[in-house]
Amino acid sequence: MSPIDTTSPLGVTLALLPEVVLSLTALGVLLVNAWRHETAADSRLAGWLSLAGVGASLVALAWLAGTASDTAGIPQMVALDGFRYVGNCIFLLAAAATILLSLDYLEREEIRGPEYYTLILLATAGMMLLGGANDLIMVFLGLEVMSVAAYVLAAYDRRSPFSAEAGLKYFLIGAFASGFLLYGIALVYGSTGTTNLVMAGTFFETGELSVMAALGLCLLLIGFLFKVSVVPFHMWAPDVYDGAPTPVTGLMATGIKAAGFLALTRLLFVTFPANAELWQPVLGILAILTMVAGNLMALAQRTVKRMLAYSSVAHAGYILAAVWSGTRLGAGAVLAYLLAYSLTSLAAFGLLGALGRGGERDLTADDLAGLARARPWTAAAFSVVLLSLLGFPGTFGFIGKWMILSSLVVAGQWLIPVVLVLASAVSAGYYLPVIMAMYMKPAPAGAGDAPRLPRATVVVVAVIVAALLVIGVWPAPLLSGTLNVASSLFERAFQ
Amino acid sequence: MADMLNLIGYQGWVVPVLLLLPVAGALLVVAAPAPRARSIALAVSLAEFLVSAGLWWSFVPEGGMQFAASIPWMPQWGIAYRVGIDGISLFMVLLTTLTMPLCVLGSWNYITQRERGFYALLLVLLSGILGVFISLDLFLFYVFWEVMLIPMYFLIGIWGGSNRLYASIKFFIYTMVGSLLMLVAILVTAWMVGAATGVLSFSYDHILANASAVGGRAPWLFAAFALAFAIKVPIFPFHTWLPDAHVEAPTAGSVILAGVLLKMGTYGFLRFAIPFFPDVAFSPAVTTIAVVLAVVGIIYGALVAMVQPDIKKLVAYSSVSHLGFVMLGIWAATLQSVQGALMVMINHGLSTGALFFLIGMLYERRHTRDIAAFGGIARVVPVFSLIFTLVSLSSIGLPGLNGFVGEFLVLLGSFGRFPWATGIATTGVIFAAAYLLWALQRIIFNKLDKPENESLTDLTPRELAVLAPLLAGIVWLGLYPAPVLRRMEPTSRQFVESVQHAIPQGAQAVAAPVNEGHP
Repeated sequence: MSPIDTTSPLGVTLALLPEVVLSLTALGVLLVNAWRHETAADSRLAGWLSLAGVGASLVALAWLAGTASDTAGIPQMVALDGFRYVGNCIFLLAAAATILLSLDYLEREEIRGPEYYTLILLATAGMMLLGGANDLIMVFLGLEVMSVAAYVLAAYDRRSPFSAEAGLKYFLIGAFASGFLLYGIALVYGSTGTTNLVMAGTFFETGELSVMAALGLCLLLIGFLFKVSVVPFHMWAPDVYDGAPTPVTGLMATGIKAAGFLALTRLLFVTFPANAELWQPVLGILAILTMVAGNLMALAQRTVKRMLAYSSVAHAGYILAAVWSGTRLGAGAVLAYLLAYSLTSLAAFGLLGALGRGGERDLTADDLAGLARARPWTAAAFSVVLLSLLGFPGTFGFIGKWMILSSLVVAGQWLIPVVLVLASAVSAGYYLPVIMAMYMKPAPAGAGDAPRLPRATVVVVAVIVAALLVIGVWPAPLLSGTLNVASSLFERAFQ
Repeated sequence: MADMLNLIGYQGWVVPVLLLLPVAGALLVVAAPAPRARSIALAVSLAEFLVSAGLWWSFVPEGGMQFAASIPWMPQWGIAYRVGIDGISLFMVLLTTLTMPLCVLGSWNYITQRERGFYALLLVLLSGILGVFISLDLFLFYVFWEVMLIPMYFLIGIWGGSNRLYASIKFFIYTMVGSLLMLVAILVTAWMVGAATGVLSFSYDHILANASAVGGRAPWLFAAFALAFAIKVPIFPFHTWLPDAHVEAPTAGSVILAGVLLKMGTYGFLRFAIPFFPDVAFSPAVTTIAVVLAVVGIIYGALVAMVQPDIKKLVAYSSVSHLGFVMLGIWAATLQSVQGALMVMINHGLSTGALFFLIGMLYERRHTRDIAAFGGIARVVPVFSLIFTLVSLSSIGLPGLNGFVGEFLVLLGSFGRFPWATGIATTGVIFAAAYLLWALQRIIFNKLDKPENESLTDLTPRELAVLAPLLAGIVWLGLYPAPVLRRMEPTSRQFVESVQHAIPQGAQAVAAPVNEGHP
């Protein structure tokens, strides 16, 4: 008898154990904060407690992934498959890294309020529900839990007008996107009578779509594309990424984007696989637009943070190209690239936050001049991170791009891969100047010592850089892993 | 010698050692105290050369691919660590391992800051270049091809001249655009071959045997490969990164760029682009474009070299001219022309490498490369002047020195197929004489009218040690190239035969008598 029986309340709880553990931790941290919220030490305590919660959730996730291979009953609201587990793993890693990076950041910037960590945990729980949602209602709930926490996080630096602007913009656009999504859900429900992704999928199997359902798909797509900042729905992203506290930017660029993409992938691959001729052209064109526009706009930026924000838009284009393929390989590529991009971006924003010393919004590449002399290890780590973003061989980023290219080529596509590689070449034009400044330009006269990285940041960056290099050189286990996991999307539960 | 090498199992371990030794050396250099860096780098690169020297005896000319190995890397994609050496790669490997210790020795006093980084990057670069020349897996090849960009980028960008930032990023992006398109082409080729044969593999042999499966896509795929290699060679009009990179790079960087890196482009044509898609490569349209661009490169490079006030830039443009001969020889696809092209690749590495070293030595003394700043220095630095003259003559192609052998074979082998183009290319030799002799006259001869030049010191023993191996090669290949030609002949013959079916019949008939006349 399997412990996970979706017909019993206990079984459902166990099936959601990672999310449950995380949510309970969030509430626990909130409770602790009710008594202890005044000093910096209290804030740190909340951070460490949250980190412990993330760890516990990871353990629960590992247990679930090991046990859930034989389940009784039908998973209705949240899926029980590898795709969800890997997604959850990405979110939890992103949350752990964000918490570690925030510990010293908040202290340095004198951002008070230990509720910060509660919000990170809630946002993460939302991501997990969204990424694993098997039902449109759960998609919406997950999205809202995640987004509401993220709106507050974006505006968390109360003394910064930019942070307030970020929060407001994100909220307005987010509300707008949620509206689209909700209408889409309503229309799909109206035409099928169900909100379950798999059951709706059996309804659309014939490949014929009523006008109402097609409109529903269209609105759902718009809602998701807003969330993952695909051109032309990207306008909010640079300002929000730029204005939010840097660790929060890291979380938004990685976890939130990943959750959106995973839910979108599941929706298209499980519910609408037979209607590919309807959504593929849209995704293809938008992917090309996003890659080209994102990279060109990143090229024009002066500050590193804004450059990374626009480059995050460009990366959304690469991932969208993988979703376009609609194949098992494509789903594997989405997973691999999301993992690669999340790790890399977290390290990039972590380094930026630590190096910027509060003024990181205005940090330009030239402000990093001479860093290789003063802090050789930091400069080397930042270079690896940038090269991985560029997709250079020997790093995880290249393996991700390689999988995306493969999935496109196998699908018989050649235009998108060519645009993708040319766009990558453009991206060299803004990643390399940062490396160039660190290694090839002398430190500006009169500049103080380069800041030393806090210990927690060192740990995060070192682990990520090591992972990028190891997977870049020895990707075989990861490749077969993501492909196996991707298969889980193609096994229909109700057939 | 070969027996002795077999006794120690040389064939089995030579390739992995060649690839790993420099990387291990680089780690050692980074860990060592800065003043020791250069000695360790020299020791490692010398050891590398000694290890590779065994290839000369151990290599069996008729043996096809040798020293081969295959270790799975990403088995689910058919990607493996597959390596091997044949008559084409043998000399590229030897040229690379010969150049590297000289580069270390040549940088001995020139590099005074961040020595550890410099020598570590040189050693990593050595591994990367060797990897390009010996990989027999397209994925592996691509990885090496890209990875070796990074050390070169840093070498130019950190230790280069005043305009180094611009030059380094231009070099990087130019190369990257070409190679990324090649990556797509590699993927498409491998998948189409995989779909046709049922075996997904990036193995060179597998794809070579079934390349016809790409069908109508062949022209596009060829174009993508060709663009990557054309930028690297560089073929006119993709050459504009070259003068910047060569001039701004430190001496060692220029020597490696000219001596070895440019050959990666022509090597790519010989190894991948043409054998995979011979029907496209030798179709009338592509042949016309390739031959015209080769000849334009020869003449244009020479003419632009003639008017350069900067001696380093002059040599840089002369590379465009020399590499044009290689392209002409490859596209003529007769036994002589291909062997000639390979010889030009080796000779250009020796002569131009030596020229860049000499210019670097001059620059270390005067801190200028302006031709007008010199004059009449033969009286002050006789040994330098003698060597400079000798190397220039070799670059011009004086009979008895190495340059002559390669260019003569190319012209001889190409004349039958492209009489007009070959005729025009021949004038390139005359232009070469013009720009180099003229420069020689202005630097070494003329009047000693600048007081700064009167106190120049002649070559030191260390500098002589840098130049001596190159000079030996220049004279040896000029007088007795037979051992080299013998080792590359079977591979060249195999290349020519494998593409012969794609060459239009009329042209073949013209080529045949030339083949018989000069066996």
